Amino acid sequence: MRIKVDEAQCSGCHLCEMVCSLFHLGTMNTEKAAIRIHKDDLGTSLNTPVLCRQCKEMKCLHGEKVIGAQERKKFLWKKTRAEYCPFHALSVLGGKAFHCDLCGGKPQCVKVCTPGALHIVK
Amino acid sequence: MALKRKIAFIDLSKNSIEIAPVPVDLRRKFLGGRGINMYLLSKFYSSDLDPLSAENPLIFGTGLLSGMLGFGSRMNITSKSPESGHLGDSNMGGDFGAELVKAGLSHLVIEGKSPTPVYLVIRNGGLEIRDAEKLWGQDTVETQKLIRQELADEKYHVACIGPAGENLVRFSAIRTGMKNAAGRTGMGAVMGSKKLKAVAVRGTLDIAVSDPKTYFRYYLKTLNKLMETKWVQALGRYGTPLLFQYANAMGFLSIRNNQFTTIGDQGYALEAEALEPFATGMLSCFGCPAHCRHRFSIEEGRFKGTKGEGPEYASIGSLGSKLGNLDLQNIIYATELCNRYGLDTISAGSYIAWAMELFQRGMINQDTTDVPLRWGDGEAILRLIHDIAGRKGFGDILAEGAFAKKILGEASKYYLLDIKNFPIEMTDERLPKSFALGMATSTRGACHMRSRPSLDVLSLPEEVLKKIYGGPVSSRFSSHVGKGRMVWWHEIFNAVSDAVGFCRFLTIFSSPHAPQYQQFSRLIALSTGLTFTPKELKTIGERIYTLERMLLVKDGISRKDDTLPKRYFEEAIPEGPAQGEVISHKEFDEMLDEYYRLHGWDEDGIPEKKNLKRLGLDE
Repeated sequence: MRIKVDEAQCSGCHLCEMVCSLFHLGTMNTEKAAIRIHKDDLGTSLNTPVLCRQCKEMKCLHGEKVIGAQERKKFLWKKTRAEYCPFHALSVLGGKAFHCDLCGGKPQCVKVCTPGALHIVK
Repeated sequence: MALKRKIAFIDLSKNSIEIAPVPVDLRRKFLGGRGINMYLLSKFYSSDLDPLSAENPLIFGTGLLSGMLGFGSRMNITSKSPESGHLGDSNMGGDFGAELVKAGLSHLVIEGKSPTPVYLVIRNGGLEIRDAEKLWGQDTVETQKLIRQELADEKYHVACIGPAGENLVRFSAIRTGMKNAAGRTGMGAVMGSKKLKAVAVRGTLDIAVSDPKTYFRYYLKTLNKLMETKWVQALGRYGTPLLFQYANAMGFLSIRNNQFTTIGDQGYALEAEALEPFATGMLSCFGCPAHCRHRFSIEEGRFKGTKGEGPEYASIGSLGSKLGNLDLQNIIYATELCNRYGLDTISAGSYIAWAMELFQRGMINQDTTDVPLRWGDGEAILRLIHDIAGRKGFGDILAEGAFAKKILGEASKYYLLDIKNFPIEMTDERLPKSFALGMATSTRGACHMRSRPSLDVLSLPEEVLKKIYGGPVSSRFSSHVGKGRMVWWHEIFNAVSDAVGFCRFLTIFSSPHAPQYQQFSRLIALSTGLTFTPKELKTIGERIYTLERMLLVKDGISRKDDTLPKRYFEEAIPEGPAQGEVISHKEFDEMLDEYYRLHGWDEDGIPEKKNLKRLGLDE
């Protein structure tokens, strides 16, 4: 299971980021979210949601002796993993990386994505 | 916790910055945003306060729930208005307000004047005043880009002025993003007078939530209900331009400075569908599920290469139909020019319409106006926008807004349709009597956003109206019966909505099923821990609105000023679906009497002492 992004539909509202931090951390912080919107708000006005693609290779775990399947289920990751992600898909703030754990199977961001930019793919 | 957000006092004359908490008692009385802004402004306001003086404060205020899950995330910018000479206040969307909250602040009070251009940088509660010499003269989009470059962070959100604000054009806007504006009442000129080019903000702080799980669950429930309404679905598809079609079909549009109120089938050229060839997607303000804003690109023709966001109905009406201009590409470009220069599109259109009617009647000629000002002449409109922003030639006269009456003479006054020295907008209110009253009583001069009871267009059954408004209201759009009650109710509701930071479009403004006090009360409690009953929220709305009225009373404003342009009383609509509609003095007075009574103001429109005491405004 992963979240598929349809960039063209993203309205840039940031609701996905807000509910991600609220669901996982009980606080509101768009920077502490596993999904983030890159906004070209003074140029093309295009928005690009970025989050973990749940890829099989997991290059993010570079040299770590951990079980990938278990790490996938975690939201808070160490910062270094963000540097190894070839897609630059992890958000980082204050020494932590924020990883999409798919909310344990019911992604909350998809529920609030009213323009339909986020879809669950199984 | 929302209550931890602070207020910063910045004095540009003294180069000083002080930060203080927002007292809980102030939150309980005024919530935030427009409410607390009015409280702060009231400490400075007097009839002889010069809007362009160092003593006039420029106040930024985010709504109580801005930056959080709710029904939008808006803010207000408030000051004494250089455009009207009275209360100035403008509501703004986009991302800036939420970013200010993320930086730990909810309000800024900017006093004094800097001797040289400066800008303010705010990052996670820290403030710094920086040199803006190199930014002075730049347009509002370039300014934002240059500041992000200088601060080496693309995530800064910037509110700034363009050349119009620098040149103290009385109807200058404060702008953020490609098109968001605190557009009305000339807040950009106040900023320009302080030599403050911009405020840049970046925040990464947590916003604590009182009851995260219940809050999230409740938000999802209200969101799903909201997204089911036809209105929000239509807004997400067509944006505000869909309102143009309705106003034109009903006959309450301003055509050629309100000489007419519909353009009939010619309106197709400016309807929402006509925008489709240029629209490349829909966008949202921060935290908004409705995505009512267009992204556009003009691919061919005279304006090829023009890209941006918008235009909204207000700009299409003001720079289009009001001026007899049916060239949509020209309107889009004119809107973009106003945005870049930092001009209010609504006021710009209103003053240009005034000049065009004076030209039509031979009351001014090319000796004064430099170029012929003929209805629908798109090139002349663009020239005037350039000249107003740069204060060149005739543009320098129009840059004075309603104060240009002194220059253009006694006879010109009839043709500037203004209320409390502030021009009416893209509509004509002779048909919808509730809209007319709302324009007359608005605390910031002729403004539809203070009340605009748009539910009136739905002709809801009178028992439904009675349930909403608590008394009898006619369901007939053109009737004046009960409309004093309707306007009173929406003025109070909108004051609360602004103080919380919500968007009109996601509330009862749009649909009787959309959120109002009950939902606001619950969301505030679950997110901030502050509890207010719906009735208490309504009292806060009364407090905000009556405080605004008290500021106007200081300027000597009373019943005599709660009126409409003479044209509304003296000229019946000449043709179209609203033909023959005119405002009767008798009916208007009846509405006003009912309206004052409900507000607890005397028959001259002055708040009564016992009511001030009830609202805690008697100190």
